[in-house]
Amino acid sequence: MAAREESVRGELGRADRRLALLMLAPAVLVLMTLSIYPLFYSLRLSLTTPTGAWTADHFHRILSDRLFGTALLQTFLYTAGALVLELTLGLLLALLLNRALAGRNLFRTLLLLPMLMPPVVAAVIWRLLYNPSFGLINGTLQSLGADTSGLLWIAGQQTALASVILVDVWQWTPFMFLLLLAGLQSLPTEPYEAAQMDGASRWQVFRDITWPLLRPTVLVAVLLRLLDLLRVFDQIFILTEGGPGFATETASLYIYRNAFRFVNFHYGAALSFVLLAITTVVSLWLIRLLRGRTPAAEKS
Amino acid sequence: MLPKIGFVFPLLLLAVLLLGTCQPSPPAAELTIAVNAGVEGDALKAAAADYERRFGVRTQIVELPYANLFEKQLVDLLNRTGAYDVLMLDDPWMPRYAATGEMTPLEPLFAQKAPTGPDDDFLAPCLAVCRDPYGNGNLYALPYVGNSQLFFYRQDLFEKYGLAAPKTWADVGRAARAIRRGERNVYGYVMRAAQGNAVVADFMPLLWAFGGDILDAQGNPALDSPEAIAALEFMLELGRLSPPGYASFNADEVAAHLLQGTAAMSINWPAWIPAVDDPSKSRVVGKIGFSAIPGQQRAGVAAIGNWLLAIPRGSRHVERAFDFILWATSPEQMRISAERGNPPTRRSLFQDPGLRAKYRSYPVQLHSLETSRPRPRTPLWNEMENVLGVYLSKANAGELGAEDALRQAQAQIAQILKRNP
Repeated sequence: MAAREESVRGELGRADRRLALLMLAPAVLVLMTLSIYPLFYSLRLSLTTPTGAWTADHFHRILSDRLFGTALLQTFLYTAGALVLELTLGLLLALLLNRALAGRNLFRTLLLLPMLMPPVVAAVIWRLLYNPSFGLINGTLQSLGADTSGLLWIAGQQTALASVILVDVWQWTPFMFLLLLAGLQSLPTEPYEAAQMDGASRWQVFRDITWPLLRPTVLVAVLLRLLDLLRVFDQIFILTEGGPGFATETASLYIYRNAFRFVNFHYGAALSFVLLAITTVVSLWLIRLLRGRTPAAEKS
Repeated sequence: MLPKIGFVFPLLLLAVLLLGTCQPSPPAAELTIAVNAGVEGDALKAAAADYERRFGVRTQIVELPYANLFEKQLVDLLNRTGAYDVLMLDDPWMPRYAATGEMTPLEPLFAQKAPTGPDDDFLAPCLAVCRDPYGNGNLYALPYVGNSQLFFYRQDLFEKYGLAAPKTWADVGRAARAIRRGERNVYGYVMRAAQGNAVVADFMPLLWAFGGDILDAQGNPALDSPEAIAALEFMLELGRLSPPGYASFNADEVAAHLLQGTAAMSINWPAWIPAVDDPSKSRVVGKIGFSAIPGQQRAGVAAIGNWLLAIPRGSRHVERAFDFILWATSPEQMRISAERGNPPTRRSLFQDPGLRAKYRSYPVQLHSLETSRPRPRTPLWNEMENVLGVYLSKANAGELGAEDALRQAQAQIAQILKRNP
């Protein structure tokens, strides 16, 4: 470590280093203003009372905040459900459309459409589709002779969370598909040729070649979705605003409500830091989990 | 060395300038008005344009959806940004806004222009919500839109089944059952039971009619009273006669059922009245009657939900802003606003023959507004409303019984009060 620093110092003259620092300055300035300062500002908010005195009361209150606990649990269910479905579907679609197939390009383009739609617009459309009385889904089922009186979708206590997950899957599976397809197309062809010579089955090829090679791409895709899912806000806000009752309330919605509707920025900031801590821990855990299984790590 | 620094500093300057221009500042307007996105805001927007043409005062409209309007305005008040000169606000927000100490009291301004203060053509309940504390405190606003709840019912179906216009909630239940039995595709009732503002607003008239309230006279939560439980049990009974999924309904879904003719009765706000008789939106033109909110143990009472006009202390054009809200709430201008679809807050306009000919609901609206009640006047209302809304919606979705739901809401509201002594 020290030796490396020494060599950098050796390579760069004093004037050059000063220039380098100056060149970095604008980026650092922007980062400080837009990220670092607000972060510390909200940390201070979470640890002070409205009159400015230091306190740990906000964090203490979180421990007994049952509604926040429920919202967190639902956020995890939402994240896990959406992530598993999106990864599975995205991978299947990518594998399917990675092969020579008539109309492949058309399918690829069509598949991307949901992702290109603003989440708010998608949510409004789905809200209309889901309407139990006038919606297209129940309407179609009825015309096929089905009894839809118990099918409430986002209006049902038991079905609401699954219904909002479905909207996320519809919108973001294309994202998984896109990343995984790009990953598949960048894989080397040699291992496949060798496997073919050895007479490996399709499943063996996937298990022993495709999956291990694709794992870094999966890691990135899952991580990106995970971070988005844990702070999901816009779709649910439009679809159900957390209801019926509390059935689809997520951590972000609850934080927003406390900070902006109830005008308790201090408590909102404290809740945000809890969510931030959880997000960080889950992400680190995921990175380790997936890294730990790469072939390189297995060898060493 | 110098030339290099000379290269970096313009870069820094450029970065700062770019940051500064990210949000282009609009040309300085003399009056910036924050309005609700909807019919109520549309009328004020049109009025501002008239004002601009007539007095040569440049106005700028900031139009925001209901929830965002509250957040933006409150942040503006708390930080005294001076971004807005006129605030259009929903009356339950008044105690929270006044608690910031950042609202301009209007009485001193009246002293210069109209020493008698707001004239007595304004309906008393409309002026009362403009004061904080309620009724007799400082005057912080003038009432612009005279909303209060009304009862909508299908007159044609009531005639078909030989029913009289409902006077009590028991009548409503009987009529809803009769219509549900007789009509294949019409639900007896429809309501907003989505958590938050919606379900609470639809519950209040029931709660009051059954003799309950959210807070008692001492300001303690009173939701576990037998009256409140009876009110919620009756709401759940109406729910069984409502369309499936009503526990997530907001104004749009309720209006859709009424206008499509698939529900026979509902509590609603006057904003939907014009749509009822508009053939391009409604399948029930001329078939819906309007009546006062039914009673039960007590006389029926509607919740008031007026839109008010106020001035933040941070405004740099307080005099001009006051002139504008005085002008906008004058009889002549409010008549134009009424023509544009907003209920007035002045008795003379409710009694105006021309407007009565245009709006057949005006006599009922006037009665409803005169006898209306405000939602609890506390700066904590948003938080209390949210909690009560969650548990009411849970009860309507079938997750909790009436008593359980109200006991849990009661406990949560007690906690809110305890946290904010």
